[in-house]
Amino acid sequence: MSEAFLIAENLHKSFNEHKAVNGVSFTIEKGEIFGLLGPNGAGKTTTIRILSTVLEPDRGDVTIGGHSIWHEADAVRGLIGVCPQELALYANLSAMDNLVFFGRMVGLGGKEAQAQAMAHLELMGLVDRARGKVDKFSGGMKRRVNLAIALMGHPELLFLDEPTVGIDPQSRNNIYETIEGLQQKGMTILYTTHYMEEANRLCDRVAIMDGGQIIALDTPYELKRQIGPPDKTTLEDVFLKLTGRSLRD
Amino acid sequence: MIRSFIVALREARTYLQDRAELAFSLLLPIVFFALMYGAFGGQAQFHATVCVVNEDQGGTYANLLLERLAELESLDVELLSGREADNKLERSDLLLVVYIPEGFSQRITDGEPVQLVFKQRGHGGQEGRIVASLVRSVAEEMNQEFQANERVKNNLAGRDIPEERIEVTVQKFLEREREHPIVEVREDTVGASPDMVNQFLPGIITMFVLFAINTMARTLVEERKLGTLERLMTTHLSVGQLFAGKFLANVSRGFVQTLILLALSYIVFQLFTPLSFVEALAIALLFSAATSTLGFIIASIARTEDQATWIGVSFTMIMVTLSGTFFAIPEGTVWYTLSRVSINTYANEAFKVLIAQGGSLADLGLEMGVLGGVIVVGLFLSRILFRVLPGGR
Repeated sequence: MSEAFLIAENLHKSFNEHKAVNGVSFTIEKGEIFGLLGPNGAGKTTTIRILSTVLEPDRGDVTIGGHSIWHEADAVRGLIGVCPQELALYANLSAMDNLVFFGRMVGLGGKEAQAQAMAHLELMGLVDRARGKVDKFSGGMKRRVNLAIALMGHPELLFLDEPTVGIDPQSRNNIYETIEGLQQKGMTILYTTHYMEEANRLCDRVAIMDGGQIIALDTPYELKRQIGPPDKTTLEDVFLKLTGRSLRD
Repeated sequence: MIRSFIVALREARTYLQDRAELAFSLLLPIVFFALMYGAFGGQAQFHATVCVVNEDQGGTYANLLLERLAELESLDVELLSGREADNKLERSDLLLVVYIPEGFSQRITDGEPVQLVFKQRGHGGQEGRIVASLVRSVAEEMNQEFQANERVKNNLAGRDIPEERIEVTVQKFLEREREHPIVEVREDTVGASPDMVNQFLPGIITMFVLFAINTMARTLVEERKLGTLERLMTTHLSVGQLFAGKFLANVSRGFVQTLILLALSYIVFQLFTPLSFVEALAIALLFSAATSTLGFIIASIARTEDQATWIGVSFTMIMVTLSGTFFAIPEGTVWYTLSRVSINTYANEAFKVLIAQGGSLADLGLEMGVLGGVIVVGLFLSRILFRVLPGGR
């Protein structure tokens, strides 16, 4: 893991007077799972929206796979897959139709989209429900479809924005195993979550954001070691120590 | 371009899978048509009720007049008391009442002039004027018969022929004349009343197509709400392709609805020739595209479904009202000038030229130019708005 696949440099983004992202810089190595943690309103989702070319930053640049989001946005889109925090699905279409549709949008041909859709549904344990309408699915199944869509086109960099929110342990475990399997195949992943044990289990490195800035960035082990014995300290201890205990909206 | 078709197909699948919406949108034109047929198609000939106050109860000529009126196929006779008639006229339940005055028959017998009285609100309404005309013609017929009877009696006076015999003979002759007149009028019905259909059908079609504004206005908002818009923005799909796909889907949908209305009108009212039908479809397609474009502008501005709906509905109402969809706007008035702002006006006029005036697309340069201009400018404007407003690209 020595090749920087994503380089974010001095990103700034404001909405009216509110600075959502304020000078964020970091790199993600090829094949790495990079965790982006932070309380509500820390700027995680805005950062992901910038990295995935949805939002233009006020300042700063991002290079993904050697392509700038400013000048080669379409090339960047060819490298990324996005699993948004909210379920972004067509509820009245089947799981298969959702996957095939987004597959065609990322540039796959009809047969290739069908084949990948089936493979990803199998990976998510949803083959037997492939033709079922998504609005009849449970929350966990919808989450898995949401993730499967992000895998269409075999992206090199996957953005996972809280992919396990509100689902049962079985679905969560399925998603963990899928993510670990994807990493083994060489996929680079940026992962945001509020579940610290998740970040501890999956992430090679973790950046903790607050107030639109990165306030700590290291491996989970090193972050824990900085505040106490790593075997007796949790990532949640680190998180609370760095971001405080005051409630966030 | 292929991605635009895939987006359009996805929209079509969503539309086809929503059974309720599908049924509603395809049945609505049929329901509209049925209403129109009920109003103008089911009864091609004039039919009305004449309300009569008979103050000459038992009078021979009063009864004869009522009998003659009742014999007319196009009229039903309803007898009212004077008070009832006055109340109904007062409340505008009736626009015209025929009064047979007291002593009507006696005065005719005495050879004195008599008057039937038509009491009416305003000019009695279109139906009232036709009823009055029918009553007048029956009265004139009776008058001529009475005159003929009197003349024959006068000519035969002193020839020792009983008056009763003269009267019976004359009546027989007149009756035969009524049954077999020298000049007869025959009514052949070849379809519904063309004036009414011509007036209303273009309005109904244009109003219907205008609904496309609302469906289009909601399309981007719904994608935004679902989160799929943002997801699509991370793929190779360009905004232009997204717009083209949604545009194609919405225009097709509006066009299919219009096609149903036009086809039913063609079959039932026989309003078109094959060529004018194709030309009407071309105008429907152009108008559907223009309204979808306007919907796109709203879609680019609106941030919530409520916003999209309200802007769309308000816009539709204004366009329909300004264009005089169901009534003619007099030329030279302020309203007429304002009506030029509504795209409905141009579509209405185009349909009227094709349906009522026997014109062709060659006569519709202005109308097609305006609708085409709306499409080009609207697409350009909506693209700009989508780029500059928050959440766009």
